Amino acid sequence: MLNGALLAFEESAELWDGYRIEPVVADPQGDNRLYAEYVNGFLDEGIRHVVGCYTSSSRKEVIPHFEKRDALLWYPSHYEGFESSSNVVYTGAAPNQHILPLIDYCFSRFGKRVFCVGSNYIWAWENNRIMREGALGCGGAVLAERYYPVGETDFAKVIDEILISRPDFVFNTVIGTSAYTFFREFRAACKARGIRQPAEIPVASCSLSEPELREIGEGALDGHISSSVYFSTIKTAQNAQFIARYADAFPDGPAASADAEASYVAVKLLVMALARAGSDASDAVKAALAGCGIDAPQGHVRIDPENWHAWLTPRIGLSNARGEFDVVFEATETVAPDPYLVNTAPRYASDSKPRNLRVV
Amino acid sequence: MPPLRLVQNFRGFRAHLATSDLRQVENLEASLARLGLTVAHVDPLQGDRTPDMASLRHDRDVLFIDGDLEPQPWAAPDPIGTLLQAPVIGLVGVEAPSRLKALLSVGATAFLRKPVHGSTVYSALFMGVNEFLRRRHLEIRLQEHERRRWGRRFVIRAVMILTRDGAMDEDRAYETLRRESMKQRLSLEDYCERFVGGGASIPSAETGGLPPGRAAQSK
Repeated sequence: MLNGALLAFEESAELWDGYRIEPVVADPQGDNRLYAEYVNGFLDEGIRHVVGCYTSSSRKEVIPHFEKRDALLWYPSHYEGFESSSNVVYTGAAPNQHILPLIDYCFSRFGKRVFCVGSNYIWAWENNRIMREGALGCGGAVLAERYYPVGETDFAKVIDEILISRPDFVFNTVIGTSAYTFFREFRAACKARGIRQPAEIPVASCSLSEPELREIGEGALDGHISSSVYFSTIKTAQNAQFIARYADAFPDGPAASADAEASYVAVKLLVMALARAGSDASDAVKAALAGCGIDAPQGHVRIDPENWHAWLTPRIGLSNARGEFDVVFEATETVAPDPYLVNTAPRYASDSKPRNLRVV
Repeated sequence: MPPLRLVQNFRGFRAHLATSDLRQVENLEASLARLGLTVAHVDPLQGDRTPDMASLRHDRDVLFIDGDLEPQPWAAPDPIGTLLQAPVIGLVGVEAPSRLKALLSVGATAFLRKPVHGSTVYSALFMGVNEFLRRRHLEIRLQEHERRRWGRRFVIRAVMILTRDGAMDEDRAYETLRRESMKQRLSLEDYCERFVGGGASIPSAETGGLPPGRAAQSK
């Protein structure tokens, strides 16, 4: 994420008449309290635009500070939606741009019986809720939902459960080192039982990216489904240029990914809006941003002034042994962001309790 | 009675925004549009007619009422709150008890602080609409229980008739009436009211010879 932003700053530092953008970098190291502390420090210094945050919990932590001081957070990560702050520009995918395409793809190709495994926080809970609604809506079934603390690496029990229940696919919302362990151990357990895991019990995710495939490691990195608006293998001239420049700038990695591209896009849009506005005041920048669009590595991207999320192109990738994704599905055009799933969610929340019995 | 279901998507709802100060609710209107609602403004203090209460539907309309409107156009006599036809979300400016009480009395089930901040609207809408539906559901159930409680006197009379004329004890009489009510897909109270009124009979095999229509004669 940082690399993508730095690359864009390097390419676009010149604003107008000698004005340049100088990025200031801080690393809160995943500590939510430090996110708020650093953001307040930036705002005290007069910085009005901050690009960053990966987890929803860190974003939620800092948003009140941006709202109070009328500054803008440029949030470059896919997330679970149900938020639309006037002080945040969201350049990552909204849920209708990643989880809904994944549901359509998996249910139409693998079947409608899904087993959900996730890290125990809002990202997994919300995505599994949407998955459950998708399953119920098409006559499918969620066989189980299992949650583990972030950082957990003991998945033996849930892997046994999955192998006993034999779902059509596993929906993974486990993150970080937990996810890498889960992928490796699940592949090994399947192999030990003579099960061709990618073909028989594929694992589908919304957050799996190229650098993470490398973390999973040899022997278990191929055959995984990921939904994203960007893969490094996208065939566009802009992406070829992005990949080449990224490789030159960061030869030691990590590999270019959706997060790197979304940060790159965020900074490009920020610079464009600043130049058009001739000011860094958030109202002026937002007014200028409303008409901005760029031909990004993933394709055309523009911000919707109704909710400050981006129009993006959903894709499904299948990981290969080289640690990349082969794009197996691509939307024919950019998709409007729908962070509250207003256009697709059922009117009523799903209810997992049986309704066959009633008191008379 | 259909089960209570949580509304999570408000697309197609109509929001009636009753306030005299649109500056305070700019973000509210934009946020509601983002969530798929259409918005109609009402300023009762400028002579705008308030929405026709009879035309409001609980599954389509939601009222946002400014607590600072003076006088409150929806003043209700019940201080603990009477539900209107549709959910009410109170817009709170002055936090004086009298203003809050006025909103409570028109059945507000959620509140938004003025000036309204966009990021709080979905939560208020979710809580306001679903709490309204929950209270409405409970009120309907309460009415139903009141009606059935009133009908228990027919159950007692029916049991007495069967114990007297059908040669059975109270437990068997009750079980017989319950079984027959289930066969006819009626509540026990409704069935017993019919039975006592002569509109239903117990098969003679159940009663040991009580003939059809005997119940009516036995009143």
